[in-house]
Formats: sequence, C-alpha cells, structure tokens
Amino acid sequence: MGLLILIILLSGCAVIGRGKDFRSFDEQNLTQIKPGQTTASEITKMFGPPSQIVKLSNGNAYIYNRSLSKVTGIWLILVTLVNYDTQHDRIVFFINQSDIVTHYGSSFKSDSAAYGTPF
Amino acid sequence: MEHPFNRILWVTTLLFLCQILGGCPSFRIDRINDGEVIKPLPQELAVGKTTLADVLSFYGAPSDIMDMQGHFSLHYQRTFYRGGQFSLGIPLSDVFKISPTFDAAGNLKRYDEAIFIFTPNGILSKMAYEKGSDYPLWKTYWQ
Repeated sequence: MGLLILIILLSGCAVIGRGKDFRSFDEQNLTQIKPGQTTASEITKMFGPPSQIVKLSNGNAYIYNRSLSKVTGIWLILVTLVNYDTQHDRIVFFINQSDIVTHYGSSFKSDSAAYGTPF
Repeated sequence: MEHPFNRILWVTTLLFLCQILGGCPSFRIDRINDGEVIKPLPQELAVGKTTLADVLSFYGAPSDIMDMQGHFSLHYQRTFYRGGQFSLGIPLSDVFKISPTFDAAGNLKRYDEAIFIFTPNGILSKMAYEKGSDYPLWKTYWQ
C-alpha cells in the first residue's frame, strides 16, 4: 500500500534547462588593457559593442554583460518545485573625456550558475 | 483478522480519491536567484580614502552604474525570489457545469546590495550594504 501511494505521489516529470544571454567578448583580452593608454576604440575593437554605455560627468562607462541561467523543475502530482539560477559575466571600463580607459573591473561568474532545488 | 471485503473497500476508496483529486490540489514552490553573493563591506574601505580602483579590485564589475550629476555610483546587487502557490480545484464541469477552484499565492523578493558613491575624481564619498537574503522568509513576508 505504501509503495502504491509513493508511486502515485512521485509519478510526474522533471526538466532541466539552460538559457544563455550570449555576447562574444573574450576575457583573455583583459590582459591587453592598460589604464591610461588603452583607448575607447581599442576597447570596442577587442570586446565589440558594449551592452550599455553610461554617460558620466567626466567621461563614459562601457558595460559588457552576459549571463547564464540554469533551471531545474520537478512536476509531481501534488507538488511542483522550480529553481532558477542566473549568474553573470561583466566587464566595465571607465573612459575619460579624452577617450582613454582610466579604470576597469570584471567579474566572471556565469560558470557558477547551478542546477538545484528550491530549498 | 481483517475481512477481505474491508481491504478491497479501503483500496477502492483510496484509488477513487486519487482519481478525483489527482492533479486538482497542487502546491508550487519557486526559487529564483539572480547574481552572486555580495560580499560584506571590508574594513579596508574608507570614505575619503578608498578609490574607484580599490572597489573595482575588491568587488569586480558592478551590476549598474549611475551618474549623479558629478558624482557617480556603483551598484552591486543580487536578487533572491521565493514564491509559493497552492491551488485546489474540483473538476465537476462534466456533471455540474462548474468547477470550483481555490488559489492562494505569495512571493517575496529580497535583495543583497552594496552601493558606492564616488566623487567626480573617483574617491569614495559614501557606501552602504544590506544583505536582504538573511531576513527570515516567513516572518519578513508577513510583517
């Protein structure tokens, strides 16, 4: 009887999914960036068009962003459990009014997106 | 000893209930995480001393940058969503032309955030941090 109840409760389906917001920038190119020397046009040549440009009072910030999402879902008869995890790769360049990179920062976390349960 | 008829009746009743209720009552739990854990402010960061390069070096690229008419800010954010839904429906439309349903749903979105405001020449002028995901789910939802 217990087995019957367990089968009834557990019969369902499961899904795993993966979604990518892709941009082709290559993090290896960061080794070529020299604050105070690299220009804005060199940035766009190496990394392509930025995802976003923020106008600042003393220049611009170029933001590059891409993400990876992983989805885990379990549909049972009575219970549905869904887990989404999204992680991003980001690079930001601060560019002064002379179009020279003054600072940059990066985070590459998309590899840490994980499948899992909602608990 | 249990009468065989009682056992058959019990099993039949259980199967009938499963048939009637199967798929009708349901409970859904969602968890949506966007972004990495935001580290607490380290003691080395100091207003008036810390530079843009220091913050970028410690936290990496921000989620957002905002111009503040001279000053500018870096935002680091992680969103953490929990949602739940309970549904109960009795499919009677073949018999009574109606199918009563009851739904109850709720969700809570919490934020881990760090914000850094800089002077136009890149010196830290303000900073703030909050770890919203540490707030208890149930209590925070109802308060």
